[in-house]
Amino acid sequence: MRPARIASSAAFLFFVFVVQEAAVARINFPIAGYSLYIAVLMGLLAMEDRSAAVMIGFIGGVILDLSPSIDAPFGQWAFVMTVMGYIFAANRESIGDFSTRPAALVLFVSLGATVSLLIFLSLGALLGESDGNFQRILTTSLGNGLWTLLFSPVILPMLSKFRRISLTSRERK
Amino acid sequence: MAQGGNNRSRLLLVILLVTSLFLITLDLRGVSLTQSSRSATQSFLAPIQRVASSAFSPISHFFSDVKNFGKTKAQLKDVQAANSKLRAQIILNKNAEGQLLQLKSALNLAGRGGYKVVAARVIGRGSVSTFTQTITIDAGSSDGITKDMTVISGAGLVGVVKSVTSNSAIVLLMSDPSFRVGVRIARTQSAGVLLGQGDSSYTMQLLDPAGTIKVGDVLVSLGSENNRPFVPGIPVGRVTSVDHTSASLTQQATVIGLTNLSNLEIVSVIIKPATADPRDGLVPTPIPTVTVFVTPAPVVFPSGSPSGLPSPTPSPSQVKK
Repeated sequence: MRPARIASSAAFLFFVFVVQEAAVARINFPIAGYSLYIAVLMGLLAMEDRSAAVMIGFIGGVILDLSPSIDAPFGQWAFVMTVMGYIFAANRESIGDFSTRPAALVLFVSLGATVSLLIFLSLGALLGESDGNFQRILTTSLGNGLWTLLFSPVILPMLSKFRRISLTSRERK
Repeated sequence: MAQGGNNRSRLLLVILLVTSLFLITLDLRGVSLTQSSRSATQSFLAPIQRVASSAFSPISHFFSDVKNFGKTKAQLKDVQAANSKLRAQIILNKNAEGQLLQLKSALNLAGRGGYKVVAARVIGRGSVSTFTQTITIDAGSSDGITKDMTVISGAGLVGVVKSVTSNSAIVLLMSDPSFRVGVRIARTQSAGVLLGQGDSSYTMQLLDPAGTIKVGDVLVSLGSENNRPFVPGIPVGRVTSVDHTSASLTQQATVIGLTNLSNLEIVSVIIKPATADPRDGLVPTPIPTVTVFVTPAPVVFPSGSPSGLPSPTPSPSQVKK
């Protein structure tokens, strides 16, 4: 886990965050909205080792906490994404390398996007937040997961290329 | 070696989780650092959102347009012929015409209520990851907007200003599950509370146990102390169904919002309320139904009629429309 790679991942995530807030959030997706940012973050977490996944998860969560429209306490997404980073890395070690199984990666990322929203809501409920009725929460979480499943085959190959560029020759081996 | 790596990552996990909890605690205790970081992000994003709003405006309603395509397909052939003549006119700034209509409508409502308003364009929407229903507008504190001001459209209430920077503001939409507004039934003056449900429908809880709600009743805002966050008299919604459950102490009703929050382009922020409460002066009046009476005109038959009596059914050319 090189500091330079963490910094480049953080800069890349911030760029995606700006795209999400300025453009993707404007589109009225049917069923529920789509978060490009969460999909990209899940994709990055799925490709990293345990320490890097936890660190990138935390940084990604802090960036998401910066969203001006969010009503949750600052740090809630950081907590959720740190946990997600650990869950991803731990499961990835048991599943194995995703590079030979792209379909598994797409499913893993979509499931991760849905689970991260549900963990965020659960933590919010513990902190006394009101996020609407159960049906709406379920629709939003599953709708986002569905859109992530549809768009991930386009996004993940690009993400994989970005990661290859950010790796040193030693890390590639 | 691997064990050492695992221990290191677990230690990192614990440190980061504790840091996250520390940040949450700071935020819940109202430390301004976390609030100002979001304000700074909003100031940074507002110019980008403004540019993206112009670029993405045609495709932001892409999916809803596709969804409605099937419904309009049958009518498409009939419309195509007439459409070709009008295309030249429509192609010129169709988007701007829609925005102008919304602006005129919003200013009309503000004018009737006697409110001093600032018109603003919607430049962003809350992301799905925030689980809040918000919009970002391109007017801020430099235009006189402050926190907790009422936001309206041409049809009625939109929401309330949640946070402000110098050139933008975030508006909490009335559809947000955390949104609560005191309302009054225009017909009976009974007061209640309207709760956001996350979509276009709302729940109204009547405060008066003896009060009555009827389907079709229009609700207007009750108003807040010093007109913050809500000015009185703004149309809010219309009752679509009433819950007559005897178990509940007060009556509940399902309400549909008067403003379509999904395609907002222009809104108005009330920066100075009216000197007097408009009461029910802003309640939308139903358009009277036009009833057409058809009176068959007596028909005089030529001598060829066998009975010499007029036909009971008039010919189409004789029906007065």
